[in-house]
Amino acid sequence: MSLLDLKLKVNGKEYRVKVRPHKRLLDVLRDDLHLTGTKEGCGIGECGACTVIMDGRAVNSCLVLAASAEGKEIYTIEGLEQDGKLHPLQEAFMRHNALQCGFCTPGMIMSAKALLDKNPHPTREEIKEAISGNLCRCTGYRQIIEAIEEVSESASKGARE
Amino acid sequence: MGVVSRPVPRVDAYEKVTGRAKFAADLYFPGMLYGKVLRSPHAHARIVKIDVSRAREVPGVHCVLTAADLPAARSWFTYLFLAEDEVRYTGDAVAMVAAEDPDAAEEALKAIEVVYEPLPGVFTIEEALEPGALQVQDYAPGNIVRNSHWPVRRGNVEEGFARSDVIIEREYRTPFIEHAYIEPEATVAVPDPVDGSVTVYGSVQNPYMTRRYVAAALGTALGKVRIIQQTLGGSFGGKEEVMGLMCGRAAVMAVKTGRPVKMVNTREESFVESAKRHPFRLRYKIGATREGRIMAFEAELVDEGGAYNSQAQFMNWRACVHSAGCYEIPNVKVDVYAVHTNNVYGGAMRGYSSPQVIFGQESLMDELAEALGMDPVELRRKNALRFGSVTITGQKLDDQPVNVLAVMERVLEEADYFNRREEYTRQREKGGPRRRGIGMAVSYRGCGLGAETADATGGLVSVQEDGSVIIRSGLTDNGQGLSTSHAQIVAEELGIPLSKVVYQRVDTSTMPDGGMTVASRGTYTGGRAMLLAARKVKEIIFRGAAELLSCRPEELASSDGLIFCSSDPSKKVSFEEAVRHCLFRGETLTQLGWVVPPELPWDRPTGQGKAFPTYMYSCVVAEVEVDTETGQVEVLRVTAGHDVGRAINPALAAGQIYGGIVMGMGMALMEEVELHKGVILNPNFDSYTIPTSLDMPEMKPLLLESEDPVGPFHAKSLGEPAMECVAAAIVNAVAHATGRRVRSLPANLEKVLLGKTLARS
Amino acid sequence: MHKFDYVKARSLEEALRALSQGGEKACALAGGTDLLVGFRAEDARLRHIELVVDIGDLTELAYIREENGCVALGALTTHAAIAESSLIRVAAPFLATACSQVGSPQIRNRGTVGGNLCNASPAADTLPVLVALEAEVVLRSLGGERRVPVSRFVEGPHRTGLRPGELVTEVRFNRPLPGSRTCFIKLGRRKAMSIARLSIAVLLRTGDGGVVEEIRLVPGAALPVPARVTAAEEILRGQGLTVELAREAGEKLAQEMVRITGQRWSTPYKVPAIAALTRRAILTAGGLEDVATRSQA
Ligand SMILES: Cc1cc2nc3c(=O)[nH]c(=O)nc-3n(C[C@H](O)[C@H](O)[C@H](O)COP(=O)(O)OP(=O)(O)OC[C@H]3O[C@@H](n4cnc5c(N)ncnc54)[C@H](O)[C@@H]3O)c2cc1C
Ligand code: FES
Ligand code: FES
Repeated sequence: MSLLDLKLKVNGKEYRVKVRPHKRLLDVLRDDLHLTGTKEGCGIGECGACTVIMDGRAVNSCLVLAASAEGKEIYTIEGLEQDGKLHPLQEAFMRHNALQCGFCTPGMIMSAKALLDKNPHPTREEIKEAISGNLCRCTGYRQIIEAIEEVSESASKGARE
Repeated sequence: MGVVSRPVPRVDAYEKVTGRAKFAADLYFPGMLYGKVLRSPHAHARIVKIDVSRAREVPGVHCVLTAADLPAARSWFTYLFLAEDEVRYTGDAVAMVAAEDPDAAEEALKAIEVVYEPLPGVFTIEEALEPGALQVQDYAPGNIVRNSHWPVRRGNVEEGFARSDVIIEREYRTPFIEHAYIEPEATVAVPDPVDGSVTVYGSVQNPYMTRRYVAAALGTALGKVRIIQQTLGGSFGGKEEVMGLMCGRAAVMAVKTGRPVKMVNTREESFVESAKRHPFRLRYKIGATREGRIMAFEAELVDEGGAYNSQAQFMNWRACVHSAGCYEIPNVKVDVYAVHTNNVYGGAMRGYSSPQVIFGQESLMDELAEALGMDPVELRRKNALRFGSVTITGQKLDDQPVNVLAVMERVLEEADYFNRREEYTRQREKGGPRRRGIGMAVSYRGCGLGAETADATGGLVSVQEDGSVIIRSGLTDNGQGLSTSHAQIVAEELGIPLSKVVYQRVDTSTMPDGGMTVASRGTYTGGRAMLLAARKVKEIIFRGAAELLSCRPEELASSDGLIFCSSDPSKKVSFEEAVRHCLFRGETLTQLGWVVPPELPWDRPTGQGKAFPTYMYSCVVAEVEVDTETGQVEVLRVTAGHDVGRAINPALAAGQIYGGIVMGMGMALMEEVELHKGVILNPNFDSYTIPTSLDMPEMKPLLLESEDPVGPFHAKSLGEPAMECVAAAIVNAVAHATGRRVRSLPANLEKVLLGKTLARS
Repeated sequence: MHKFDYVKARSLEEALRALSQGGEKACALAGGTDLLVGFRAEDARLRHIELVVDIGDLTELAYIREENGCVALGALTTHAAIAESSLIRVAAPFLATACSQVGSPQIRNRGTVGGNLCNASPAADTLPVLVALEAEVVLRSLGGERRVPVSRFVEGPHRTGLRPGELVTEVRFNRPLPGSRTCFIKLGRRKAMSIARLSIAVLLRTGDGGVVEEIRLVPGAALPVPARVTAAEEILRGQGLTVELAREAGEKLAQEMVRITGQRWSTPYKVPAIAALTRRAILTAGGLEDVATRSQA
């Protein structure tokens, strides 16, 4: 089986990797780039722990071949912090106790970010919908929703001021 | 108070929101190999032959091992590292490989040839109990799990029934339920080339237990095995046996190959080999007077232990203690026991046996109320435990507050229970396919391990010269926030900011075995050990500060990093200064707190004794809307009140309650491991469904505080109580909505619509 | 994980050439939401695949447009794009509804209508709707183009008329006549990420005096191949719509389901449930109030 020589753009950085064709974006992020914030919980698109943002949209990196991701802009949880400053969603998750074990957290935050990037003032229903592909077994979702809501509220306040 | 009782952010929040937290699967070591296990496709079979020769030739493969190649024990307790001649369930492993990459490992597994002779098996509680049934384990005659029988005998049930006006008999069922933590099990075992020891990093809930497995598998001394718990992606009781086996296997291969070996389960492997919530068959007979006084309670509670089992004896003890609910009943006869089958094994899962037992017994209460023509709340009010009541195990509750009624009334009021009950009843009579209902359940739960087993544990507090404080516990943070509450307890006691406290994860070589992080004992028991250690340290520091301030240590108090004289706060010294003074004088500021709860008397043949030092009380009210044409149930609102003693961190406590509600909702409506002849039909999240954010109901948590005489800062347990009543309350609400009762969980589409189970064939 | 070779197609031509060379042993990769699940499970249906032709970057196959009363969806149009499309929301609202309920946001962002069709799962959400729209599949190969109605293209559970070397490029349907009303209801075990336990797609048009002139009823996850249930439609056609008639049509549809599939383990559940869903969908499309749509609140 051939080895593919891929150029991937992750968190604004170009990487070159040599992988076998069946390797998923998730495998390359974790095993080759050691960006282990992206998690594998099911491997079949059901849990959302592997969620990354690809060309502005939340996707399950377990269902994307690494080769398919070539030429796309990929963002992972590691790309959110800017110059040592946390993203408002990360701050809000901390403040609202929106995590327990933390395994779902990176995927959850990426889904929330994809939502807010497109729709900065979502309703509560839209927030629930946006994270409905991210399973969390610990928190019962409530504090997660509150954290996202807070960021969208402060975004709407910022917009009004 | 400073930091206790405040919703401070978790100490591990930063690493978790940035993706920096290292879960076991996130570790990579130079030269690391990937391990994989071959499992049996049959639930019960004789292994005729295993041929691994082709597998050994797969490029990149470093070792292929079968039971014959194991250096020491083939099993720990009875769980098998690798099966030698017989497999007893589909999780049993028959061979394992380590290779340079996962693909090669996978390929090697495919190259292993195993010839099985399939054998008949037993797959239900009924089949297991049938006279002459095939015996799953040699040591378990009649398929009764060793040591799993726990009776309770109190008063005389015959007399009690004779004095009852209404008697009902019912049977309820619960299925195997998967923990469904989102992180699948993972470990990396790293061998030490010099002294033959191994360090095992893993997603382990109970590192000391895991260490026993690893030492047994290697045939080495416990001291040569070091288990380091990585950030744990949820456990809920699940990462126990399966992790012991996985770590044992990885360690064997690591030592064999001289390379670090990583093993990560796929979700399917996790489903197949990991413990499940024990299914229960709950049979009851209950009698009451016309006025609603319960006179007699008889129960036979049988749980399915599966092929192996090391938990049913503890699980069932808890079940027998709580079997009759939080009621005072004069005549009781209860028998709890477990059976072996060729299904996946039962293990600990949040609530231990309580969610199952409460589902049965609180359904029964509603059915009894109906038979009496009485409001279900009224029936509970009449029989609830009160101060001075005697429990079914003969424990007189006169040394602690007994809050069943207080909690229940408060929750009912907050949920507007009576108005809604009336309204929905009225609407139901009008007909129509969408019907609403409201239901409730109450429970009590012994805190800590109680008379079940030794409950000792430790906490280590070590103050550094700059005033920072390292804490270590023998108990683990499984995501529930134990590290945060322990840090809060220590910061509070020492009067220092929380930021000064550094929590270090469990490492078996640096802390004495603190038992298992189970039974919600993390805060209740572990927190007390921390408090004790902090107190010891504080005493020394205060002595030093007293010298500096020329006063007596008893006069001192501390807060916010300052130690001051209570009568004259201007006489003060910083915590750091006092610390340096003590260290300079050669004092040690590292102290171990060790708590040994008093032994509780228990008479096994009668099930009488003091079961637990204290209890916590819960009440849950659920409202549902049922689509009676499709069987769909929507949970609209859940109000959950828990007598938490004192919440060390209200935000964390609320998080436990929300999580418990949603997990309880899954148990009530959708979760069931479906098995056919021992094969799990739904081993991933596409077919084993758990609630999503869109399924989440409106939730109202109530933290009701009281003075617990035992827990640290009066805190009780919460992790497990948070989910234990939920399924019962939801199912009672469904019965209210439809007028028809689902007696076997989950109340899924088919059962709600048709009133019966449809089995996939 | 199944192993295979991979090429990324830069143009439709390139894709067709690669597929034609690969023949039986090649398959297209669109969003991958079915294919990767199948490869991971080493699904027997994919065992023969040696070459994956990634068509995901062929943006020329991702479009939604209307020409001369015909609505055309490029095969690579995602569920998210369809759900968000103002054209579809007006021209065929039930298609937007169906797509908005597929899986999760992540799945809808990747999963395509072409993939949904070619995977041909009995529970696929767009299939009943496309059959109700009498949609056609446009297939291209090096040899040329052919068109097949969706109802014929899908030949059985996970079986289609796709030939080696062929690619679905488009799905098209005539815009329903003015006055048409539609409804799609999906029943699952939870509110998100739920494969349809049952579903029903209804297209209905009433004329003067409320007489039903056009009615199409297509259940999902009920029949081996998604199809209109004409016996049930006949109950309504030419009649004034009433709750009673809708109920009858629902019951008839359920009977037909049993007639076609026989008794299965799930039949006792599916019969009453599909009857009720069908009644509700007809009434919703017809703008009539049903007892069931009134919740108690
Ligand atoms: C978690 C999860 C939830 C899901 N939920 C739903 C749901 O609710 N409802 C539902 O209907 N489906 C659901 N699906 C299934 C899947 O997402 C859909 O069927 C989707 O539309 C498939 O599209 P795709 O582009 O991802 O297909 P792919 O996986 O890329 O391909 C699927 C099949 O079609 C072939 N193919 C794809 N495009 C073409 C083409 N243009 N020409 C020829 N052959 C082609 C491929 O070779 C392959 O055989 C779910 C899947 C997952 C993983
Ligand atoms: S690992 Fe990708 S969705 Fe679960
Ligand atoms: S915090 Fe544990 S799964 Fe979400």
